[in-house]
Amino acid sequence: MTALASTPQNDAGTPRDTRAAALQALWNRVLTPRRANIALWAVLLAALPPITERAMPHLFTSGQAQTLDVAACLAMAALALNVLTGYAGQMSLGHAAFLGIGAFASGIMVGRYGLPMAIGVPAAALFGGIVALLLGIPALRLRGLYLAITTIAFGVALQLSILRIPWISGGNAGVVLPRRLAGDLQLIDNADWLAVLLVALLLIWLLDSNLMRSKVGRAFRAIREDEGVAQSFAVNVVTYKLTAFVISGALTGIAGAFYGHTIGQANSDPFSYELSLQLVIMVVVGGLGSRVGVVAAAFFFQVFPAIMPSWFAGYQVPIGAALLMYTVARHPDGIAGMVQEMREQRAMRRERRATPALDDDLDDIDEQGRLPKLPALPRPSTLPPRPEVAGEVVLSARNVSVRFGGLQAVDDVSLDVPRGRIVGLIGPNGAGKTTLFNALSGHIRPQRGEITFMAQDVSALPPHRRAALGMSRSFQLIGLAKSMTVLDNMLLAQHLLGGYDIGSALAFLPKAARVERELIERAHQAIAALGFERFTGTPVRSLSHGQQRIVELGCLLVTDPELLMLDEPSAGMSPGAAENLAVRLRELRDEQARTVLIIEHNIPLVLDVCDEIYVLNSGAVLASGPTETIARRPEVIGAYFGEAVPA
Amino acid sequence: MSTALVIGVVQGGMYGLLALGLVLVYKGSRVLNFAQAEIGTVSLFLAYWLVAQHNLPWIVGAACALLLGAAIAMVFERVIVRPMGSAPRLSVAVATIGLLTLLLSLELLQFGPTPRVLPPPIEGLGVHIAGFYVSPTQLISLGAVAVIGVALAMFLRRTDFGLGVLAAAEDPIAVRLVGVRLSRVSAFTWGVSGALSALAALFIAPSLGVFTPGVIGAPLFVASLAGALLGGMTSLTGAFIGGIAIGVLEAVTKYVVISSNLSATIPGAQSIAIFAVILVVLLVRPQGLLGRGAAA
Repeated sequence: MTALASTPQNDAGTPRDTRAAALQALWNRVLTPRRANIALWAVLLAALPPITERAMPHLFTSGQAQTLDVAACLAMAALALNVLTGYAGQMSLGHAAFLGIGAFASGIMVGRYGLPMAIGVPAAALFGGIVALLLGIPALRLRGLYLAITTIAFGVALQLSILRIPWISGGNAGVVLPRRLAGDLQLIDNADWLAVLLVALLLIWLLDSNLMRSKVGRAFRAIREDEGVAQSFAVNVVTYKLTAFVISGALTGIAGAFYGHTIGQANSDPFSYELSLQLVIMVVVGGLGSRVGVVAAAFFFQVFPAIMPSWFAGYQVPIGAALLMYTVARHPDGIAGMVQEMREQRAMRRERRATPALDDDLDDIDEQGRLPKLPALPRPSTLPPRPEVAGEVVLSARNVSVRFGGLQAVDDVSLDVPRGRIVGLIGPNGAGKTTLFNALSGHIRPQRGEITFMAQDVSALPPHRRAALGMSRSFQLIGLAKSMTVLDNMLLAQHLLGGYDIGSALAFLPKAARVERELIERAHQAIAALGFERFTGTPVRSLSHGQQRIVELGCLLVTDPELLMLDEPSAGMSPGAAENLAVRLRELRDEQARTVLIIEHNIPLVLDVCDEIYVLNSGAVLASGPTETIARRPEVIGAYFGEAVPA
Repeated sequence: MSTALVIGVVQGGMYGLLALGLVLVYKGSRVLNFAQAEIGTVSLFLAYWLVAQHNLPWIVGAACALLLGAAIAMVFERVIVRPMGSAPRLSVAVATIGLLTLLLSLELLQFGPTPRVLPPPIEGLGVHIAGFYVSPTQLISLGAVAVIGVALAMFLRRTDFGLGVLAAAEDPIAVRLVGVRLSRVSAFTWGVSGALSALAALFIAPSLGVFTPGVIGAPLFVASLAGALLGGMTSLTGAFIGGIAIGVLEAVTKYVVISSNLSATIPGAQSIAIFAVILVVLLVRPQGLLGRGAAA
């Protein structure tokens, strides 16, 4: 391992050096990366219209410019669908409907009532968002493909019925959409219009990239990966899925408005099933989550027919469909995911060449059991000070019963976990330990019983609300978002500490930026405390099981929880590592004053660290009490070793 | 109104067949097949090509359509579903979206957006049964639906292989241990669902009158999906009854809208009615009327 101690400050250099250094420091303060970024975007957005306006007429005919115009609109729509499908992993098969809603909303405002687009486009976003909210509430409460089912039916109903209702469509020809930006400013020319579209596309891109840098984007990605994991990181899964859908609906509404103004007149015909499917292809084949891939796919779809010989034009859709099947079957992350994977592999090979000792290091942690010291971070500034009462009961369960069909998995269990203690939960396989854990953490709802946490009845609260109160749990199968990096998981674990709203996330306002900086700082501290600096950017799935376990423990501790619930933390660890785990657990209790509830099969470990033990057998508490007395109880020995050993 | 009911039951029978195919595949592979209706639509266009453009007898076109439907589904199962093995079921469902788009776009490329007509299997006047007018095609379709429903039920409940198919949906590992080849079960369920889809499309074509590439598949799919959801996604009987219920709902909605002179005010009201059914099922009883598990 490399020494990480910072080099001591050198003696002050010559006055010239100091002045240069001061200037440099000042310059760095004025031009923070964030400001540089903002400046870059501002220049880009300001320079785009004049450049496009001058250059376009020389490069393209009006017809070609129109093709590009449509492509830009579809790229916006694909980016919008990408928020929902690529980031949050929810499938919509009726996104053309939102394009239709946007086009008609803006068409009615601008074409029928003579308002400027400055009102029509926001109205399109508003309508798109509201409809998404209304559809999402029934569909997204449930897990699975219900959103796809709902949106497909909505898309058909919208195209075949709603958009044909005379007072909406204004007759068979549909709504007229003049390109009136504001006042008398009309953009007739397709090339001029492209400038407006590109600025809009860039703005959507910007919102999208802001979103993904924030806790909202992390929550989306965690949901896409595993809703259960997201939930135990205190992410309110339903709300975030709904948020993704509403943002997507609103942005697609905007894209639809621009699309309508591009084609000039819209009836229900373009907003077809086929268009919805094409958008799905752009997002999935372009690479779930990758903005560049998605935008490129959208442009490809529009430009392809224009540059291909006529007999081949139109084949972009079947080709895309075949690619979709191929990508899903072989490379579930899309083409961009494939590139990303290749890049990761190359980076890993390079790293391995540079530090040949890396692999040995990896083994060390597992085989020789050098479980690193678990981080003791200061309490986050956003949390209230911990209410400490010595000897107080942190978690208590009263008469909890869980029944699965005919099986009584947990039978009338009561237990107390006092502050500052390590409480063990042992019992043979199938005794109901993990089921009891699930009931305590809220992942399943017991039929009977009451659960109190931090002097509050939490029996009716969902897992993310209990996590918010300071209940942090691990899973038998590692509870991390496996394809996200170690850093991302540490940030995800701090989801609740990100005290800013969705608006500041979209605009990445200074408040959000500041909070994010703090979270990142904290995550780096935790990673450094574990000694995992070199894995900061490594996806969790490429770590060994033992390392993943350590990252998971780090994630649990990074929020400074009131109670740690560990489900078989020593599973898959070597004897050496398990012994080391005992040392670390005692440190948690003695040095950090933490409270731990632990399920373990490793009896020596339990006897070593636990203050109190509950023995579960066939769902019921067989015995409970201080470790010394439990270890001698004959019925406990019986349950474990088959028969009582005569004393 | 009574005519509307007859039309509804006949049309609903077709939705029932489609829903049956959806549920069969869903039970067998835990995959929601988004291409279910489009497989039938493509087969219908093959029948149209043979019968209307090459003057072959209806029955030849129909037979070829059935074969094509089964073949598309079985090839997809063999080439995409089976190699995906234990991949997340959501990914397999997305692959069926790829199949759906492929079929839809090929249909559009080959036949363009022009409405087409397939001559009915039997020309001529229908009969009056208990005061209802029933056209010959409707009679045949009712008969076919009844025969197929009974035959499929018999096959699944009375033969060893059929029982294997049903049992595989419950516990694939146990079924494999008693010697049923899961790959055959899977190929069978996909093949049958493809053929059912083709059959439904063939019989629904006459009542649609004209059908346009790229347009008929979606409403067909939504109706059968609503039927399957209503029946609970895991119940074959439920899917069939659900399909008929949707058919009746559709016909009654149409009838009410037309008879109260609202067809100009709310065109295509039946698609809104079906959408509403889906929303209500999701809100009130996501497991459907006869189902046990949740979809997808």
